[in-house]
Amino acid sequence: MKRLPPVKGELIDRSRPVQFWFEDLWVQGYRGDTISTALAANGVRVIGRSFKYHRPRGLLSVADHDANAMVQVLGNDRSIPNVRADVTAVQSGWQVSAVNTKGGLAKDRLAILGRLSPFLPVGFYYKAFHSKRWFPRWERMFRSLAGLGEIDGRAARRSTAKRYDFCDVLVIGAGPSGLSAALTAADQGASVLLVEESASLGGSGAYARGGSGEIAERTVTLALAVRSHSRIRVLANTYAAGYYADHWVPLIGPECMIKARAGSVVVAQGAYEQPAVFHGNDLPGVMLASAAQRLMYQYAVAPAGRVVVLTANQQGYAAALDGLAHGIDVCAVLDLREEPGSASGVAVSELIRRGIPVHFGAIPVEAAAGKGGDVGSFVFGLRAAPRRTEYRLDVDGVWMSVGFAPANALLHQASARMEYVRSVEQFVPYSLPAGVFACGKVNGVYPLEERISDGADAGACAAARLGFGTVSTRRLPPPPRECPTHSYPIFPHARGKEFVDFDEDLHVRDLENACQEGFDSSELLKRFSTVGMGPSQGKHSNMNALRILARYRGEGIERLGTTTARPMFHPVPLAHLAGRGFTPERRTALDTEHEALGAVWMPAGNWRRPEYYIVADKSREQAIADEVRAVRNRVGLIDVGTLGKIEAHGPDAAEFLERVYCARFANLKIGMTRYGLMLDEAGIVVDDGVVGRLGEEAWYFTTTTGNSATLFRELGRLATWWGLNVGLVNLTGHYAAFNLAGPAARSVLREHTALDLSDASLPYLGIREALVAGAPCRIMRVGFVGELGYEIHLPAIHAVDVWRSLLATGSRFHIQPFGVEAQRMLRLEKGHIIVGQDTDGVTNALEVDAPWAIRMEKPFFIGQRSLRILAQQPRRQTLVGFTLPPEAPSHPKECHLVIHDGRIAGRVTSVGVSPTLGRCIGLALVEPHLADGKRLHIRIENGAQIEADIARAPFYDPKGDRQRMGDQG
Amino acid sequence: MSEAALRFEDLSSRRRFGCKGPGAEAWLSARGYHVPPMPNTAVVDAAGVLVARLATSEFLVEAADGGGDDVSSTMQQLTSAGRPPDVYPVARFDLVLSISGPGTDALLRQICSVHFTPLLADAKRHAGPVILTSMIGVGVVACPRLGDLGPGVTVWIDPSFAHYFWTTLLEVGDETGGVIIGKSNAVGHTT
Repeated sequence: MKRLPPVKGELIDRSRPVQFWFEDLWVQGYRGDTISTALAANGVRVIGRSFKYHRPRGLLSVADHDANAMVQVLGNDRSIPNVRADVTAVQSGWQVSAVNTKGGLAKDRLAILGRLSPFLPVGFYYKAFHSKRWFPRWERMFRSLAGLGEIDGRAARRSTAKRYDFCDVLVIGAGPSGLSAALTAADQGASVLLVEESASLGGSGAYARGGSGEIAERTVTLALAVRSHSRIRVLANTYAAGYYADHWVPLIGPECMIKARAGSVVVAQGAYEQPAVFHGNDLPGVMLASAAQRLMYQYAVAPAGRVVVLTANQQGYAAALDGLAHGIDVCAVLDLREEPGSASGVAVSELIRRGIPVHFGAIPVEAAAGKGGDVGSFVFGLRAAPRRTEYRLDVDGVWMSVGFAPANALLHQASARMEYVRSVEQFVPYSLPAGVFACGKVNGVYPLEERISDGADAGACAAARLGFGTVSTRRLPPPPRECPTHSYPIFPHARGKEFVDFDEDLHVRDLENACQEGFDSSELLKRFSTVGMGPSQGKHSNMNALRILARYRGEGIERLGTTTARPMFHPVPLAHLAGRGFTPERRTALDTEHEALGAVWMPAGNWRRPEYYIVADKSREQAIADEVRAVRNRVGLIDVGTLGKIEAHGPDAAEFLERVYCARFANLKIGMTRYGLMLDEAGIVVDDGVVGRLGEEAWYFTTTTGNSATLFRELGRLATWWGLNVGLVNLTGHYAAFNLAGPAARSVLREHTALDLSDASLPYLGIREALVAGAPCRIMRVGFVGELGYEIHLPAIHAVDVWRSLLATGSRFHIQPFGVEAQRMLRLEKGHIIVGQDTDGVTNALEVDAPWAIRMEKPFFIGQRSLRILAQQPRRQTLVGFTLPPEAPSHPKECHLVIHDGRIAGRVTSVGVSPTLGRCIGLALVEPHLADGKRLHIRIENGAQIEADIARAPFYDPKGDRQRMGDQG
Repeated sequence: MSEAALRFEDLSSRRRFGCKGPGAEAWLSARGYHVPPMPNTAVVDAAGVLVARLATSEFLVEAADGGGDDVSSTMQQLTSAGRPPDVYPVARFDLVLSISGPGTDALLRQICSVHFTPLLADAKRHAGPVILTSMIGVGVVACPRLGDLGPGVTVWIDPSFAHYFWTTLLEVGDETGGVIIGKSNAVGHTT
């Protein structure tokens, strides 16, 4: 390998040299070089070590269609793992090293694994390492061996903002067909966004020249027209990572992700050249013909001095002519076919005219290593020759051009339907969803002019569908003159090492063995063997693997199907995906008040709430316990503004609530409230709250904090679906709410309202509208925490004033603001459940021990039918209370398991040490038979088991006298 | 405006109310408001009152460029016992922001998936579309309008998201070319 004299169209800038380290070698390249091409220009043939066997590897695709060229880069401020050397522009001062080595690239100590390959067959890890005794050792070994690059924990944090972009027609791929599609769509009036993963436009039109400049000139003409078109925007160095519904396509650029939405999408991503599979095909110096062409024309690098070209199509002959054009000794062209295709005739004649031997019916035997470990010779047979005759050519390069696999991942993601077309030996889309088009090689079209025509047609249709232009039906491309892909370029060898998947070090026998073991479908073969699961995601390996599978099964490829192509198309830096994340946080109107009071914050859904309030010289547990005692003995005030708050209006509002809750509400008196339990269609508890009736057709109800937004949407959907005359108003963010609770609550509140707070006027569970401290409020006398309590709901703009007023008056009663943790303990003492804590995604209403909240006699409520069915079946679990003795040395935690007869029989849902009762109390979901017993055995953190006494909730004030505390005057 | 690409104005103190229900349109019309006939549209009348039709029967009314007294009066009627039973008040204590300046489109492309470019290009002073969408993860009502300083967008945000929305918007705006924070008086002049 060496640098060539200037080549027309080269991408490097020879006036701007670049120097960098590769391993311990000081390398010079030029601006525009990638890491791979700069190394190649300096004669570096070994650039990495393979994943499993640590075999030395060189350039294969020069297009990141393989993982041979994956490096670690130490740049200005950080070390970056897994940099794709084929496509990353090199910068001065970098220190580049191969990943996946121990001791450096040249002396990788793990190369010994290659000699152990007979003991490391496909799937060996599923069959070994089962010994419990030895597993920790295996685990340590694999952890040190596995992985590729290394993460630099000192790297400075980068923020890469994502953004949206919009266009009429998005064209993905700027090869000849993509350029043509973009021009046609733009000429018809559409705004076009053209995306190309390379730094330059043109695709294979720029480098697959066949020794002449015509193709390149044709391509350059298209590219210049694109660049100058006012309706085309070009994003180079950018690839489409996937396809999502409604023509959403994430575009990955050098710095950030762009989320593009298009009216139509044209996929023109071309095809990946495929390697031939023969012994030694992974030796450095053996590469795809297109890789050699890229090196020569785009980076002015001679890939080798003396080469043999292995081909089965016209592209291979073109590569041979390209090699000759750059002074490379092409010692022979070996065609796997018995005769050239009709499109190859001219090239064959030219090569023969120049004295290059062309042999048909070639059978590759092996590429053999030379002195330096890279390729030194190529051995082959000929079908026409006597059996077992082998021929050897001394070469330092082997160029393979035996076929292509379409880059159709995005089409699969768009739900295109494919058929296997024998005339091109590839999958071609025959049905595409509206707004998605394919053209060029991905559409099975290979000759240049036909690709340009196909692209123009696709662009015209893509634009016409949006109202730009009038063409509406895609034309079928003409039948191909020559098949570009060999049907089976796979030549097993007795000594193996005929690599199918270079990323995963899989050779032919691995896949055959996997099939023999029963993993003989495309999905099973992939998962058992890991073919296609490496960094290149099967770009160079999936089709050959399918061919091997098809031959094993004796079926055509078309019957096998393909594995699922999922985003991302190429590896994406995590920084691009993380970017600037928008994580909305909600705050109540009293947020600054809590901050001033010394609140310690905690997340509750997407809200922030005070967990407790700091008290000098007191621990968290002490502060929380004090808050609990304050409520029990004096009065406390908690911000419950995070609750969902919804109004329901209209003649059908009562009926609506009857249907969405399992309690009765139609008979609720005006001015009263009732607890409501909400279920889904399966009878699972999804929410609870308090429903108040303000008027004949006016209702006000609360939901849990975490569910309010989801529920409001769902309730709106239900109201529309049922056609009920009900209007729903979401006040959650616009209203504040606080709970004033404790024996002195009435005394505090009456200082600020003219409302008669006597039992006769405002009984337990009543609701009234009145002014409090001058603000219009809704006052609900409820008892979530088990004391005399008033939940005050009001417009958020008045919250601070009313809160401060209550605290000021309450100071005479030693009022205490209390937080979420104190509230959780207070309600636990009363045995009140928290939906989502004491219930989970499978807890139905019959299991929460609240039969009083369910009215099965109603005509209908959501979940009723399921409850009827569940009521006929043995209950799976039930909620019980438990206590521990005051002197118990250990306490369980939430989600600790209940154990019975050596098996899991339940779990703790809520638990804590009650300051009121002086002992640990809790709730647990357990098998029903345990609820009838006396004890529960709970396994705690160190594996020990403790005993808890089953106790019926409520643990405190079981008759509810405290909540109903009469007006003491 | 100086070199900053964006101007943010806090319009939260403008008088406004929301209402919905089968009788809402007729009730507003009877009170002299210019009610847009189509959902997702807004009009500003000669008095400067904006009426945004958010859905078939939900409205947001704001004293955008004047008409504050009328709006206040209507608010009182809406919350009184004399309100018709088929007109429901909707509390609107929103954070309301105006975003304008040459960086508006670039900012919106970072925070919202709606294509605002043609909407800003067509922005008018007295009428326009109303978009119910999500910006920086928060559901908002957005209205492109032509203001004194050129096209911009007014955004109404649930007040519980106010701190998050404001601080995040400032952060994004700073990266988009800088922000001037201005305050608009009731008749639309900026200070």
